[in-house]
Parts: sequence; C-alpha cells; structure tokens
Amino acid sequence: MLHHWLRRTAERLGDSPAILEDDRLTTFRQLCEDAASLSHALIVRGLSQGDRVALLMSKSTEAITCLFAVLMAGAIYVPIQPRWPAERIRTTLDDFAPRFVIKADESGAVIVDSTNGKQLRWREIVAASPVPCPETSVAPDDPALILFTSGSTGNPKGVVLSHRAVAAFVKWTAAEFQLGQNDRIACPSPLSFDLSTFDIFNMALVGATCVLVPDDISWMPRFLTQFVSGQRITVWYSVPSLLAGMLNEGGFARGSYPDLRVVLFAGEVFASRSVVQLQAVVPHAACANLYGPTETNVVTWYRVPAGFDPSAPIPIGRACPYAEVIMDPSNNTLLAGGESLMSEYWNRPQETEQAFVNISGKRFYSTGDRVSLNAGGDYVFVDRLDRQVKRRGFRIELGEIEAALLRHSEVLEAAVVASQNQETQTSIAAFVRPCPQGNLSLIELKTFCSQFLPPYSMPDHIFFVEAVPKGSRGKIDYAALKKRFAEEMLG
Amino acid sequence: MNIQAVLREYILENHLRGEYGEGFEDTTPLLSSGIIDSIGVLNLVNFIESHFAIEFMPREIAPHNLETVQQIQQAIQKKLDGKVAG
Repeated sequence: MLHHWLRRTAERLGDSPAILEDDRLTTFRQLCEDAASLSHALIVRGLSQGDRVALLMSKSTEAITCLFAVLMAGAIYVPIQPRWPAERIRTTLDDFAPRFVIKADESGAVIVDSTNGKQLRWREIVAASPVPCPETSVAPDDPALILFTSGSTGNPKGVVLSHRAVAAFVKWTAAEFQLGQNDRIACPSPLSFDLSTFDIFNMALVGATCVLVPDDISWMPRFLTQFVSGQRITVWYSVPSLLAGMLNEGGFARGSYPDLRVVLFAGEVFASRSVVQLQAVVPHAACANLYGPTETNVVTWYRVPAGFDPSAPIPIGRACPYAEVIMDPSNNTLLAGGESLMSEYWNRPQETEQAFVNISGKRFYSTGDRVSLNAGGDYVFVDRLDRQVKRRGFRIELGEIEAALLRHSEVLEAAVVASQNQETQTSIAAFVRPCPQGNLSLIELKTFCSQFLPPYSMPDHIFFVEAVPKGSRGKIDYAALKKRFAEEMLG
Repeated sequence: MNIQAVLREYILENHLRGEYGEGFEDTTPLLSSGIIDSIGVLNLVNFIESHFAIEFMPREIAPHNLETVQQIQQAIQKKLDGKVAG
C-alpha cells in the first residue's frame, strides 16, 4: 500500500529530507509522525475505510501530510484545486460526499467535519505526542484517490485510482530512471493532476526529496528556470508547455544544470523543435515523453534518443512493462489495459461501462486518442476522436464550455472550436448567438462563464454572430467555424 | 500616456477584442472574471517589463496581485519608484 512506503522509508531514513517547501524542511520521521497523528484524529472522529476526504488546498507540506493521513486510515483522498470557481467546487463536493474537507489556513490547515460542521485546527492535532501508524485492512485494489477531470456534459467526473494502479506507475519510474534518496524531485503539477503521483510517491518509495515548486513562481518561466538551478533539482516532471516556456522565454538555454539528470514530460504534445532544444540544454539528462490519460495514468513512454530527428512528431512510444496497449482497427484509437487502469468513474456506472472494452477477458480503456505506428514500431499520437482538447496539460471538453455559455439567459446558441499553432499551443474560440434584443457584453459573458469554468477552460476569443453555421442535417458545422476562427486570427 | 491608459489599451486589444471599454473599469477584476487567463498574465507581465523597462523578481508579483488595472499600476509604480531611488 502506498502509505506503507512512507512508514518503511521513515524507519530507514528518518532524518533525511522528505519535503522541502521554500526554507522549510520536513524529515521522513516528522512527515510520518504528523500523518499518523492526523490519521488517528480523523479515525477517532469517525473516518472509516473507503470514506472520501477532500483536500481543498494547493500542493504544500500540509497537503502531502494530509493525503498520507487519509491513506493510513484506509480512506480516499480527493484533491480539489482551491482556485476552481466556487460553483464547480460545490458540485464536485456534492458528487463524492466527503466525510471531511481539509482547507489551507494560516495555522496550516483546518479540517471540517461534514456531518456537523465542526472545525479542527492543524496545530491541535500535530502538536500531540507521536502515535503509531493506524492499522487498516486496505487491499491493493481499494481506491487511494479520486481525480476530477473535465466532463463533456458540464460537470467534472471523478477517476478512481487504486493503490495498485498508482504503485505500478511509481515503481516502474523508480526502477527505469534509477531514482534514489539523493534525488531532488520537482513536479509543478497540482495534486489534482495525475502527474503529482510521481513526486509524492517516489519520495515515499525511494526516499527522494520532494522539492515543492512555490505556487507564486510556477506561472513564470524565468522563475522556474532559476528554481531548477537554485534548488539543484535532479529530476523534473511537468507538462511540456512549462518546459517550452522555460526554453523560449525563461532563459533555460543560457544556464547550466549539472544536477538535472532526468526530465520527463506528459499531458500534451511537445513540439519536436522544443525537444531538440531541451536536449541541447541538458545533454547529459535522460529525457522521456510519457503518455496516458488520467484514466490509465502513464501507459506508454518514449526515451528521446541522442540525435532525435525534429522533422517528425515525437512518438508516445511503447507500452510500459505493467501496461498493454493495442490499436483498435476500427478507428485507429489506442486501447490501454494493465495494472495502472482506473477502477471506475466515481458514481457513474453507465459512463464506466462505456469507457471500457473487453478483449479476450481483459479490460481495456478506450482512450479516444487516434494513433499511428511509425517505422520504428513506436506509437505516434495523431488526433482526438471526440471534441476533447489539451491546453497546458489540462483536459478540456469543448462541450463543457458550450454548456457554460448556454447557461446565460441571453445566449441562444453557442459553438466552441479549438486550434493549435506551430508551437502546439491551443487557442479556444467561442461563437455565440446572443438574443437580438439583449445587450450582452464580452466582459459580462466572460465573467458569467468564469463562475463555472476553471481558468484554463476559458475561451480566448468570443465572437458574437448572427447565426451559427449548420450542415444539411441541422448540426453545427464545426469545420466552417474552425476556418472562420483561422481567418479571424489572420485578420 | 499614463500607466493605466497603456494597460487598458493592451488589455482591450488582446483580451477584449471587439469591445470599446464600456464596463471596463480600473477596478474590474481581470483574472477571477476570466478576462485574462494564466498565459495572458504571463504575456501581460512580459509586455509590462519591456514597455516600462523593469524586471520583476520572484515574490514581487503573483497573479493574485494583478487582479485589476489599479493593482497592476501600483505594482509598476512601486517598481519604477524603486528604480529611481536605487
């Protein structure tokens, strides 16, 4: 079980640094003791195995302590981005009915009991004397966490991941990239992103240090580059867009990073030109493209070879040892199976059933990603079968944006399209037919949508139109809108 | 052109194309309202740094300090004052 890793590492390397957050260092012993105290406090107040606990906080020492406390109790942690719109947070919380909600505050964290609204302060719990880790009868296939991703109907859906699923990915990365206690891992992804299982659980498994990237620098490439060299990061894992920012605007290319020995990226397509740039900056580092939707975590990978040819797109590679991937001959989409697969969508049996296909008795997740096989036998991502797009690694359902626009009483019709530039950056445009007698402004409509959509889903451009183009069967002509979007951008 | 006017022009041109500034005040929320997203903030800061010839350090600015034209103007003014004094 994932939390057993922490206990074993704390016994072995108690005084070693587990988490570094700015100047604040937490040892494995401290982390394990604090998590055990908190876990007991939650169990005493009624937390049972299988209950959900919402972590409404950014990636901090407290948040990581909390997630281990939740796992120790045999419960499920559910990270929610505190910056999500209040309405989205509320509907998501309603969906998984957490037993406790933990939020950040000045004292570290405040724990709210959902049954009676009682609040418990962090300091009151962790100041207590050390207690042994609780014993629970959690099995590998029991859920460890739920990650909420964009849903096409307008409400995020929860991907349930078991201890086994996370362990398969983490153990493989530890072995493949030879991670150890001297590594200083940085992963700027929030806890609600599957990428963050990499740093948190490799820390627990191999005794590496998790160096937290402060929230207030992660938006600025120049600050990230300074962070990597200043903190002597040895292993980096992020979405490609952050690396592209560091390479293009962050002065990454001008620095020297002798400590950086592994650079991993996942979540979206990395422009081949940038991959070559990256190799030139850290020629001594292993660079690899990891692929897999949240539902499967990483299932294929591609180690970038020396002398990588930038004229072709970077492949997503071949199956990881714990995974099995096949191409669906009917539509060329990738089907992914194996140990890292999600258990289900939380509370959505019908969508769970639709997401999987059975082949020779084995369960495969239908990724909806169209792929091809290159001459070298590696898979290459081609496009999506549906209307899902990626932006900075975030998954966006264009239908969710349309649903948000249509909630406005003065919007009669809405159609959303996306396009990518040469740097593989995604722009989103919404075409909106407003009530002719109304007086809807762009500011008003954007402000309205921001109540429901996370910032990364907000359309970059909203065009007010008198009519949305339709095909012969009355369906929205998205191809025509894409063309119109391209023309608007040129004009 | 004063700082506010430069900022307003940039935001109207890049984030509110087709609008003429009606309802766009110096106190209108920019991020929480979705007018500017995180990449937009980055571009805005790049623009500010090159236009006013200043360079922000980590912790001097964060997206939540750049919520309105008024706040951004104050951040720039503080930096410019520091430059003169230094």
